[in-house]
Amino acid sequence: MSQARAVLSASRRHKLFSIAALTGLLGLAVTMVPASISTATPALGHIGGSVSLWAEWTSTEQQDFEAVLSPFQAETGVNVIYSGKGSNMDTAIDAAVAGGAPPQVALVPSPSTLLALAQKHAIQPLAPVLGSEVSDYGSAWNNLVTYNGKLYGVWFKAANKNTIWYNPAEFALAGLKTTPTTWQQLLTDAATLKRAGVTPFSLCTDIGWPVADLWQNVYLKTAGAASYDALAAHNISWMGPTVTTAFDTLAELVGQPSYLLGGTKGALANSYPTCVDKVFPKPGTMPQAAMVIEGDFVVSEIVGNSPGYTAGTTGAGGKKCTASPAGTPCYDFFPFPAPAADQKNTSAIQGAGDVAMLFKPTAAAKALIKYLGSPEAGEIWAHLGGFASPNKLVPLSSYPDPVTQADASELQHATGFVFSLDDLQGSWEPSLWQDMLNFVKNPSASNIASIQKTMQAQATAAMGH
Amino acid sequence: MAVVAVDRQQGFAGRRGLRHGQHHLQSLAFLVPGAVLLLAIVVWPTIATVRYSFYNGTATKAVGLSNYKSLFSTADTLIAFRNNVLWVLVFPFVVTVIGLVFAVLSERIRWATAFKTVIFLPIVFSVTASSLVFTQIFQLDPHIGVMNAIVQTVDDWFNPPGAYPLSAGQTAASLATSGVVAAPHGALETSATVKAGGTVKMGLTGVNPDTLTVLGARQARLPAPFAGAITGLVWRDFSVSNPSNVSGVLPDEDGFPNLHVSLLRSDGSTVASTTTDAFGRFRFSNVGPGTFRVQIQASNFKPSFSGTFWLGPQSLTPTGNLGQTAQALLSVPLIDISMILAYLWIWAGFTMVIVAAGLAALDREALEAAHVDGATEWQTFRRVTIPMLAPVLTVVFVTMVINVLKIFDIVVNLGIDSSQPGGQSSTLASDVYYLGFGGGVHTGLASALAVMLFVLVIPAMLFNLKRISGK
Repeated sequence: MSQARAVLSASRRHKLFSIAALTGLLGLAVTMVPASISTATPALGHIGGSVSLWAEWTSTEQQDFEAVLSPFQAETGVNVIYSGKGSNMDTAIDAAVAGGAPPQVALVPSPSTLLALAQKHAIQPLAPVLGSEVSDYGSAWNNLVTYNGKLYGVWFKAANKNTIWYNPAEFALAGLKTTPTTWQQLLTDAATLKRAGVTPFSLCTDIGWPVADLWQNVYLKTAGAASYDALAAHNISWMGPTVTTAFDTLAELVGQPSYLLGGTKGALANSYPTCVDKVFPKPGTMPQAAMVIEGDFVVSEIVGNSPGYTAGTTGAGGKKCTASPAGTPCYDFFPFPAPAADQKNTSAIQGAGDVAMLFKPTAAAKALIKYLGSPEAGEIWAHLGGFASPNKLVPLSSYPDPVTQADASELQHATGFVFSLDDLQGSWEPSLWQDMLNFVKNPSASNIASIQKTMQAQATAAMGH
Repeated sequence: MAVVAVDRQQGFAGRRGLRHGQHHLQSLAFLVPGAVLLLAIVVWPTIATVRYSFYNGTATKAVGLSNYKSLFSTADTLIAFRNNVLWVLVFPFVVTVIGLVFAVLSERIRWATAFKTVIFLPIVFSVTASSLVFTQIFQLDPHIGVMNAIVQTVDDWFNPPGAYPLSAGQTAASLATSGVVAAPHGALETSATVKAGGTVKMGLTGVNPDTLTVLGARQARLPAPFAGAITGLVWRDFSVSNPSNVSGVLPDEDGFPNLHVSLLRSDGSTVASTTTDAFGRFRFSNVGPGTFRVQIQASNFKPSFSGTFWLGPQSLTPTGNLGQTAQALLSVPLIDISMILAYLWIWAGFTMVIVAAGLAALDREALEAAHVDGATEWQTFRRVTIPMLAPVLTVVFVTMVINVLKIFDIVVNLGIDSSQPGGQSSTLASDVYYLGFGGGVHTGLASALAVMLFVLVIPAMLFNLKRISGK
């Protein structure tokens, strides 16, 4: 079945991508159907016209995205008028729809925006456009953008927040040879690091959102994806036992000030991305902690600090990873571990993603949607780095290093995928962040109880139930 | 303003003898473009804001006064009100005084122009840029934050840190592994007593290998027993090749050099003190009869000054035990003071220049008369200069009151505790922004806040308008 799918995919392949296709199973498929290379039958053909496209990407990301678009434009003759809206994407789309002039195609970073637009019939169902490509995505992904049984979005870019990033050289100082696979093992390893005189965590707190991300990971791993979605919609009380369990579990970590760089006081002053720099510093300074807990977007900060950072557990040129960023420093991650009793939640992942939706079903716009949902589009950005696709057909070999491959593999095989819960809370999101900081300040059982009470009141006031 | 201008024009034109109706049409025609602009970008949004303030978060349903009620009942907005009050009480007065002092000083020094230029310079930077600079100045980490670097230098001078400073959250007791127990006041001591001729092994963990490398540590070696003496070893009881082995002295474990250790009698009195060598060894010779304990002094672990979190929410007033509302109203978070300091740096030059202009325009005869009459410098300043400058000082003061009532840019850009609603440094204007356009959108509440802000600015605005039209 999967081989047959691969053959299908290869026949859709444009010759530009044949190099990438010549590896692994897909390579085999291509040799089986040699005609697909020599004739390079484009799936879309010449269409012409133009299509307006909005997404959040600006600057470097915009350049990468335009690289994704250029083969489409060359092949179809469609002029794509791209507009990068930055972090205001959701607001911009809402305003454009209200003003009656939305773009033809848009990528939004939040499925709730998409579902709200589907409810208003502002966007088109995609099943007729995508055809069999729909099944290139896991059901966890498609379910997020399905309204009334109809699919309204196609995922293009995904971010993984189910990650803990560690400096392999610091782990080596403590003699740690493997990464933890359970929450309990994570705490044991933290204790070992501390005994070796290495501070285990540089806890990102900033204005509270990184703590919310962390707490959400713990909640997802202890309560599961179904409870997570219920809590996000406030169908579970914030004073409920699953919430208490998540706070209590996280308190095992943040309640140990010596595990946190600078103690509790230092943790509360640790903004993003400075918290990443404390583990993966610029040349001239040394790491001050071993791990930082945040999504895969920390990679751009790490390699920005020094291009010398190598992905994985072996330094540049096969040398040993060094703590000094001036030597051969490395970075790696391990999946956020579930408690030993909740291993069933291991593949439930918290993340983020950009989903494409169709406002106006012109031929050019439909072709663009089809292209964005194809593995070819994903592969181009995968090669450029800083990108992960939830599309199962984007081969892992197209990612530039083993760390990105592992990251993308996790995303593709997620059994459950949830978005950041705080982003779904509307007007009380900043209060939620404050509550999370309050928790870091004092993770005692009595304060947890009082925080839960506050959060329940805030959620009820903001969400109306 | 527009009305005033028209009246003057009418009066002027009337003297020229134009027919009244013709002139009226003409002036109306000239007014239209400006009036349309004014209506579109000032009047209409103002009315819309007032209207939205009576609607719910998404402006879809009228909710009466409920937004205004929640303004005065939620702790988040009370914090914003409190911060605005704090700004208005502290900033305009202090910045006016500083401006006055600088203006008077600059009249009496050489290089006055250079001095004025330097003081005035910050006003030409964008407040955002200045805020980013001050975010660095106020950083917690003394390696980055200048403020804490200064405090640390002075602090280390008076209280030098130990060779093995504890990290934050670490206790001396947590370092003890084998043969060591916690002693009072953060010291460590041998778990068993020892007699002359005995040897003690004291294992410690939780110290970074880099610390030992810097101190020149060598591989730990257990000293041989010595007649009449107590010998011992303090070593890093953590093996990278075998992290689970505690108590054994393994080949990849180093000694603790430069550690201050004391020999105690069973009654607790100190017999002798010494320091360990590069291998972590020490020896107390000729100790005499009796049983002893070896103590590792607490001073070895004294942490360095860890920095004051200048941009932190910690309150300068003791409000920790009060209720949420009282805390919101009465706390004075340190970040507010840090922000006011940064904002003073930005605006002091501006007030100085305005006051200096006022000073230059002063009637010198009055000052000379005061001198002739035998008034001291201070008396002249207090009784002559300040009263004569009063109109200028009032303008500066009122302008600054308006300036800080709508304080926004520095609040949003300085610090991480942040300006989010409920953040300890948030103000009315920053709440309006975040509720209206930021993360948690609630158009109704944001509009109600904006209306409140408008009402608060009106008195100061009227005062200034009256002064201007009075001239």
